[in-house]
Amino acid sequence: MGKLMDIKYGLAATFNSAKELFDAAGLVREEGYKEWECYTPIPVHGLDAQMGVGRSKVPCFTLLGGITGFCTGMLIVWFMNAYDYPLIVGGKPYFSPIYPFPVFYELTILFAAFGTLFGMFFLNRLPRHNHPVFEHPSFGRTGDDKYMIVIEVEDPKFDDDVTKDFLKSVGGKSITLIREPINS
Amino acid sequence: MTENIKKDIDVKLLAGAILGLGIGLAGLLMGLSSGDKSPFLGWLWGCSFWLSISIGLLMLVMIFRIFNSRWTPVVRRQQEHALAAFPWLAICFAPLLLIALFGGENAGILWSWINPESPTVDGITVANDVLHQKKAGYLNLYFFSIRLIGYFAIFCILSAKLRKYSFSQDYDGDPNWTHKGMKISAFGIPATALALTFGAFDLFMSLEYQWFSTMYGVWFFASGMRSALAVTILGCLYLSQKSFLNGIYKQAHQYDLACLSLAFTVFWAYISFSQYFLIYSANIPEETFWYNIREINPNTGETSAWFWVSMGLIFGHFFFPFLYLLFYKNKINGPRITFIALWILAFHLLDLYWNIIPGREIVPGAYVGYEARPVLGMHLFWGVSSLVGVGCLCARAVLKSFNANESEIIPVRDPRIMESLNHHE
Repeated sequence: MGKLMDIKYGLAATFNSAKELFDAAGLVREEGYKEWECYTPIPVHGLDAQMGVGRSKVPCFTLLGGITGFCTGMLIVWFMNAYDYPLIVGGKPYFSPIYPFPVFYELTILFAAFGTLFGMFFLNRLPRHNHPVFEHPSFGRTGDDKYMIVIEVEDPKFDDDVTKDFLKSVGGKSITLIREPINS
Repeated sequence: MTENIKKDIDVKLLAGAILGLGIGLAGLLMGLSSGDKSPFLGWLWGCSFWLSISIGLLMLVMIFRIFNSRWTPVVRRQQEHALAAFPWLAICFAPLLLIALFGGENAGILWSWINPESPTVDGITVANDVLHQKKAGYLNLYFFSIRLIGYFAIFCILSAKLRKYSFSQDYDGDPNWTHKGMKISAFGIPATALALTFGAFDLFMSLEYQWFSTMYGVWFFASGMRSALAVTILGCLYLSQKSFLNGIYKQAHQYDLACLSLAFTVFWAYISFSQYFLIYSANIPEETFWYNIREINPNTGETSAWFWVSMGLIFGHFFFPFLYLLFYKNKINGPRITFIALWILAFHLLDLYWNIIPGREIVPGAYVGYEARPVLGMHLFWGVSSLVGVGCLCARAVLKSFNANESEIIPVRDPRIMESLNHHE
């Protein structure tokens, strides 16, 4: 274990109402920030669009999983029943898309579910056990009565002073620099 | 709409109804005297299309009620107007029952088992057919008549009650109407499920009484739900673009209806395939003939035109709408969803055609003793005329309900109305 150090994660600003946060989020988007996030105690309708976040990419993984499952099912049946060990069962052909359809179908669903679950994990970068925003002394209140916008250092437009002033100008309160502890 | 336009549409619909039903009825009378089955099949097909949509709408209204769902009141009111069609549908089905009861020697012209003297494909009569003898406790004219009347009584009473409860709330705002609506739906869903299941057995499955499938009622339910959702989407979109639902019917409602539409597309495929799959696997002649006559000419074994209709259903009624509705943009974009809703309705019509029209016509001297009824024939002509006639009659009843001033455009005093208005994805 090396010495405990920390690096800058981002700048946090709190807001007192959903409306303040909603308006501020629009301004942050217009300002051109990309690496930022809103934290709210309640779901705020339309916030995704206000932040300029597109639709989730999880369905792509679902579709991919489904297609993989369907093809895998076909391959299994063809390989086992028609190629490797041809066997007549119940007077049905060695291979046909009909009698083994439950296999294709079940595997389609199974793999689509896998695609959904693991695609979601992948896109959300899960599992992770901690998050730098937890270092913020009053982050817990975003689960109660505070709304928060955090602009990350990663953002190409991020600048300690400019971003700080900008967050202030959009109505942010108690602007705090979040520092992320790391082991070096 | 001004009074003149209203009256103009009403007159046109009435004319369409009289023309379509007039031709259909003339066909029935001609068929009765000549023994030609095709006008009866056409009539059944034409009526069933509108019946299936109405049953689906009835189920949707009750499902929305029983789940006490937040987003639905805006949509539900439009569906309640459509339920006004049921009494007219009952009238449209009446000729078939009347002929079964009073048709004399041609009573069994549509459902051959009604007449014990009807010849079967095996060269005997219905009375001597063990496959009918074993079912005679269920498939007899008296019980059949009671059942048919019972089904329509269930549909008509439920729809009248649901409409009354919903419309009455507009006047007094009493939340008890909502509770009443939920209670009647709790009773109404199983009642309607039974009525539509046995209705499908009686009206369609008994056309070939030797054949049986426990999936058949579920198929009819799934078809009805799909077409009812398509009609709901088309209706709400039209009303939101041209008329009073503008800004009330939102993208979120549209999206949810389209998701339900996708779900029932999968469900339809699931149960349709299950029915095929079980019969295919078991491979019992009593059951397989039903699919054989929808694929091949039973005398030569060659692929018949019905094969292409069957393929059309697999790819056109399942694969295409399924893949199309997977995409978010296709669900929320007005023209795109309109296209697929019309597509589903067209293929639902084909699905009913595929279920009702093919049948075994006894042809002495044929290799297997019968021939499958062809895809194209006079039944299509009679079918289209009754389709138009019944459709105009139902549309007229529904428009009348919309224009009757019995209710507000949306259930303004429904306890859930604000949540429905503010519905959000």
